[in-house]
Amino acid sequence: MTTTDFTLSAIEGNGEIGALTPGQIFRQRMFGHTGFLIGAGLILLIALVAIFAPVLAPHDPFAQSLSSRMLPPVWIEGGTWDHILGTDQNGRDYLSRLIYGTRVSITIGLGAATVGLLIGVTLGVIAGYFGGWIDHGISFLLTAQLALPGLLLAMALVFIIGPSIWVVIGIVGVLHWTYYLVVTRAATQRIRSLDFVAAAAASGASSRQIIWHEILPNLLSAIIVIFTFELGIAILAESSLSFLGVGIQPPTPSWGLMIAEGKQAMFYRPWLVILPGICLFLLVIGANLMGDGLRDITSPEGRNE
Amino acid sequence: MQMIRWRTFCAAGAVALASVTGSAAAGPDDDTLRIAMAEEILNLDYNYTTKREYIILAQLTDATLFDLDPETQEFNPSIATGYEWVDDMTLDITLRDDVAFHDGSPLTAEDVAYSYNWINNPDSESNASGVVERWLDNAEVTSPTSVRFHLKSVYPLVLRDMANRIMIRKDGTYGEGADIDRDAMASDLIATGPYKVVSFEPGTELVLERFDEFFGEAPAIQKIVVRNIPDVGTQQAELMSGGIDWMFKVPLDLAESLGATPMAEHLSGPDLRVGFLVLDAGGYTDPEGPLTNVLVRRAINHALNTKEMAEYLIGGSAEAIHTACHPAQFGCDQSVVEYPYDPEKAKELLAEAGYPEGFPLELWAYRDKAASEAIASDLTAIGIEVDLRYVKLESLNQARAAREIPAYFGTWGSGGTADTAAIARIHFDEESDRNMSGDTALADLVLSAEQTADQEKRKEIYSEAIGKIAEDAYWAPLFSYSANYLVSPQLDFPLDPDGLPRLQNSSWK
Amino acid sequence: MLRYIALRGLLALLVAFTVSLAAFLLLNVAADPAQAIAGEDATPDVVEAIRARYGLDRPLSVRYFDWLGGVLQGDFGESYYWHKPVAALVADRADETITLAFSALAVTIVIAIPLGALAALNPNSWIDRFALGVAVSAQAVPNFWLGLIMIILFAVMIPIFPVSGDDTWKHFVLPAFVLGASSVPAVMRLTRTGLIEVMGADYIRTARSKGFRGWQLLRRHALRNAILPVISVLAVQLGQKFGGSVITESIFAINGLGRLALESILGADIPTVQMLIFVFAIVFVAMNLLADILNAALDPRIRIG
Repeated sequence: MTTTDFTLSAIEGNGEIGALTPGQIFRQRMFGHTGFLIGAGLILLIALVAIFAPVLAPHDPFAQSLSSRMLPPVWIEGGTWDHILGTDQNGRDYLSRLIYGTRVSITIGLGAATVGLLIGVTLGVIAGYFGGWIDHGISFLLTAQLALPGLLLAMALVFIIGPSIWVVIGIVGVLHWTYYLVVTRAATQRIRSLDFVAAAAASGASSRQIIWHEILPNLLSAIIVIFTFELGIAILAESSLSFLGVGIQPPTPSWGLMIAEGKQAMFYRPWLVILPGICLFLLVIGANLMGDGLRDITSPEGRNE
Repeated sequence: MQMIRWRTFCAAGAVALASVTGSAAAGPDDDTLRIAMAEEILNLDYNYTTKREYIILAQLTDATLFDLDPETQEFNPSIATGYEWVDDMTLDITLRDDVAFHDGSPLTAEDVAYSYNWINNPDSESNASGVVERWLDNAEVTSPTSVRFHLKSVYPLVLRDMANRIMIRKDGTYGEGADIDRDAMASDLIATGPYKVVSFEPGTELVLERFDEFFGEAPAIQKIVVRNIPDVGTQQAELMSGGIDWMFKVPLDLAESLGATPMAEHLSGPDLRVGFLVLDAGGYTDPEGPLTNVLVRRAINHALNTKEMAEYLIGGSAEAIHTACHPAQFGCDQSVVEYPYDPEKAKELLAEAGYPEGFPLELWAYRDKAASEAIASDLTAIGIEVDLRYVKLESLNQARAAREIPAYFGTWGSGGTADTAAIARIHFDEESDRNMSGDTALADLVLSAEQTADQEKRKEIYSEAIGKIAEDAYWAPLFSYSANYLVSPQLDFPLDPDGLPRLQNSSWK
Repeated sequence: MLRYIALRGLLALLVAFTVSLAAFLLLNVAADPAQAIAGEDATPDVVEAIRARYGLDRPLSVRYFDWLGGVLQGDFGESYYWHKPVAALVADRADETITLAFSALAVTIVIAIPLGALAALNPNSWIDRFALGVAVSAQAVPNFWLGLIMIILFAVMIPIFPVSGDDTWKHFVLPAFVLGASSVPAVMRLTRTGLIEVMGADYIRTARSKGFRGWQLLRRHALRNAILPVISVLAVQLGQKFGGSVITESIFAINGLGRLALESILGADIPTVQMLIFVFAIVFVAMNLLADILNAALDPRIRIG
C-alpha cells in the first residue's frame, strides 16, 4: 500500500547526506515545493483566522435575532452589508459563525490526530518490536477496528459520555489510529532488524531504552507526515459526525452542523450548504497538500511516489 | 441571482426530475389520493401502536364505539347508537345492527365485548392496555345489540377512551393460550372503518380502498395510497411533480417556500401540541440546585421570548402560551399568572435568588432544533450558562427516567384530546418521571379531577391545578404548535381544530 | 495455500463475532429499545408492555447468547421495528447496496486508472499535475457535502438526474459518483506509482529498445504488471463501500443496507443492527482476505503468511 511505501523511503531519507547539510536540503526542497507552500499557506491563514476570530468576526456568533432570520448573502436580493453572508435559522450572522467554526475544526483536528497518534504509535511500536503473539493480538485488534462501523461506535459513545468538544476529540481519535499502527509497525520491524539495534541490544540496553532511543527517533519524520494527513481526516470525520447530529452540539458553530442545518432549505438557500463546505474543503486540502509536501521533502529523491 | 428566479428554477428542476422518475399520474384522474409519510408504517393495528401516523391511518381503517366531533368536542354515536349509565360504575351501550367487517361478516356484541376484554387482559400486552386497565373491570354481552361495561372505579373519560383508543376486532382475532398472535392484525387488517386494506408492504407502501359496506357516510375519494418517503426533500420533489398529493409535518420554511409556488398549497392548521420547559423544582438532580428556588424558575419564565419563537420558528397559527395546557383544552384556565418577556426583570429575580452571576444549566431537547437554540440563547442572555443537550427522544426519556435531567424542552400532543386531563395526568402524576415538581398536593389534585364525572367540578379542579403550576413556575410554557401541510392544488383537505388530519373528509376540487 | 486461506477465513469469522459483541453491548447501553419502539407520546405503561413483549427485561448476557445461539442455526431473529425476520429484511435490501457498491467501484476504475496511467506516462506534465490535483481534491471533499452539491448541480440546476430514490439506473449515477470519488485518490496514486516502477524495469527497457512506444508499450507490457496490485486494493475498497454506503444512501434515499443500518440504529432495532454489523464485518474481512489471497498468488514470497 502507498502508506507503507512512503514511510520506508521517508525513514531511509533521514540518514541521507549529500554535499549540503540535511537542514539545507530540507529548506531548499521546502521552498521549491509548490504544493507544500500552498498547503502550509492555507493552514497558516486558517490558523490566523481562528486565533483572531474575535477581531475578524463582525458579530457575536451566538447572538440571535429571530426577526432577521434566514437573510440571504449581500449579493442576493434582500441581503445587507450588515450580514455579508446572511443569517442562519436563528438569525445569527453566518460569516461570524464560519469564522468561529475554524476554531472548532482546528481544535478537533489537532486533538484527535494526537489521540490517534498516541494509540497507533504505541501499539505499532509494541507490535513491531516484540512480534509473535503480541503482534498477532494487535493485528487482530486492527482488523476488528477496521471492520467495525465507526458511525455506530460514535453514536453510542456520544450518548454514554455526553457530547462535548473533548468527547468528540476522543472518539474521532479512537477511530483513527490504524494508519499510525500500520506504518509504525512495519517500520519498527525493519529498524529492529538493522545492525545498530542489534548492537544496542548486545550492549545490554533494555527494550524500553531501545524503543525510546533507537526506534522512535527514526520514526519521527514518518509520524509527522501521517499526523498532517490525519489532521485532515479527523476534521472530515468531525464534520460527518456533526452532520449526522452526533458530533458537536448546537449552538457551537461547527461547519458540519451548519451544513446539516442548511440542508433542509437547500433548494431555496443553497449558500447555507455551499459556504461551510468550501471552508471545510480549503482546510482539509491545506492539510493534505502540506502532508504530501512533507512526505516529498523528507524522502530521499524528492517527489518519490 | 434573484430569490424568486432561483425558486422557479429549482421548482422547474424538480418537475423535470419527476418526469424522469416517471411517477404516476396525479390524483383526480384515477380518484386516488397519494400521501407521503416520513415515519415507516409497519403495523396497521392501532391496538398495538402509538404514533401519530397510526392514529391518522386508524381514522381511515377503523370505526370505534363513539366518534369525537372535533368542533364541539362531543362524542357522537358511531358503532354504538347510545349509552346509559346504570350507576356510577356500570355503563350500558347499545350497538348498530348493520356494521360489517372488511371481510363481509357482520359485527356482533360478542366482537365488541371480546375486543375490550382482550385489551384488558394482561396477556394482550396491547398499547391500549394501560388506558383500559385504569377503569375497565369487564365487558359483558347483554343482548345481540348491547354490551354492559363494569367499571373498576369512577372514571369520567370512558367515552373518550372508547372513541380514541380501542379498535374493534372480531371475536377470537388474537387467539388464546399458546396460540396468541399479537401481530394477527398487523398487516392483514380486518376492521370496520370506511377504508379497507388492499395491499400493504411494511415500510414502503399501503393501499387502501373505499369499503362499500361501511355503515357511516361514504368518503369522497375511492383510493388512498400511503407511501413511506423518509426524506422531506424527496417528498417535496414528489409533490411538485404530482407524485404525491399530500404531505404533513412540513418544516415552516419549506412549507412557505413551496406554498408560494403554483405547484402546491400550504395549509396551516391548529395543533393541540404545546411546547414547554420542565424544570426540576423538586430537586431530583440536585436537592440544593438553583431550580428548586421559585424565583429562579420565574426568572426563566421571564427570560423567554416565546412570542418571537412562536411567530418566527413555529409559524402558522402557533402562539405563545402561559399555561401548562393548550388554550383550546377543556379546563385550561387562561386567567392564571403570566410572566411576560422581560430579561431585565429576569436578571433582577436571579440576583434576588442569590445567583447574580447566573449558574450552569444542562438543558435537554429532542426536537425543533432552532427553537431549542433560541431557548438556550435567551437563557444565556440573562446569565445562565446553558449546556444544550440535543438528543434523540429515546435518550431523553431514558435519562429522565433515571432522574438525570435538570431541565428539558418537552412537547405534548394530548393525543388530539381537547381536555386538560390529557396533559395534566401524565405530567403531574406522582408516578410519572415527567413530573419534576415534587408537589404531592398537586398530584392529588390532578388525580381527583379524574374521579368525578361532574364537568363543572372538573373545570374548577383544573383551574386550581393550572393556577398552582403557573404560580410556582414548575414549567416555563412556551408555545402551541401549528400543523403545516403541503397539498396538491386540486385537493380539498379540511382542517380540524384539534389538529388531527382526517383524510377521510378530503375530496377533489 | 489452502491452509492459509482456511486460517484467514477463521480469523474473519472471529473478527465478525468480536465486532458483533462490541456492537451489542454499546447499542444496549446507548439506547433503551423499548423507549425507541414506543415513540414520542408513549406513557410508561406502554413502554413496560413493549419491554415485556420483546423480552427486553432479561439480562444482557442472556439476550446476547440467545442471539448467538440463533445465529449459529442461521436464525438472525426478528426485527422489533419491521416485524419481519431480519435475514429476509437484509436480503430484501442487499441488492440496492450491492448495485451501489459495484457502480461506485466502476466509477473509481473509470476515473482513477486512466488518469493514473496518463500521469505515469507523462510524469511532471500538466496531466500529471491535473491528476494529482484531482486526487488531492477528492481526498479533501466531505462525502456528504459532495452528495448535496451534486444534487443541487445535477438534479436541480441542470436537471439530468433524479434527486433521490432507487428505481432506475439514472438514480444510481450521482450516488455512485459520490461514493466512488472517495476511492479515486488511493487507486490513482497506486496505478501511477506501480506504472512508473514497472516502466523502469529491465524488460520494458528491452521492449522500448525493440521499438515499442506509448500506448502499445503500455498495453502490451506495462499495464498488465502494474495493474495486479491495483486489483487487490480495489477489493479492499469494495469492502469499504458497504460501510461507506450509510451516508450516501441516506442522502440519496436509496433503500439499501446503509440506510437500513442508520434507521435501525436510530430506532434501536437491535436484531437488525446486529445482523448488519455482522454482514458488514464479514464483507469487509472477506474483501481483505481476497486482497491477501490475490497478493499471495501474485507474489510467492508472502504465501507463507
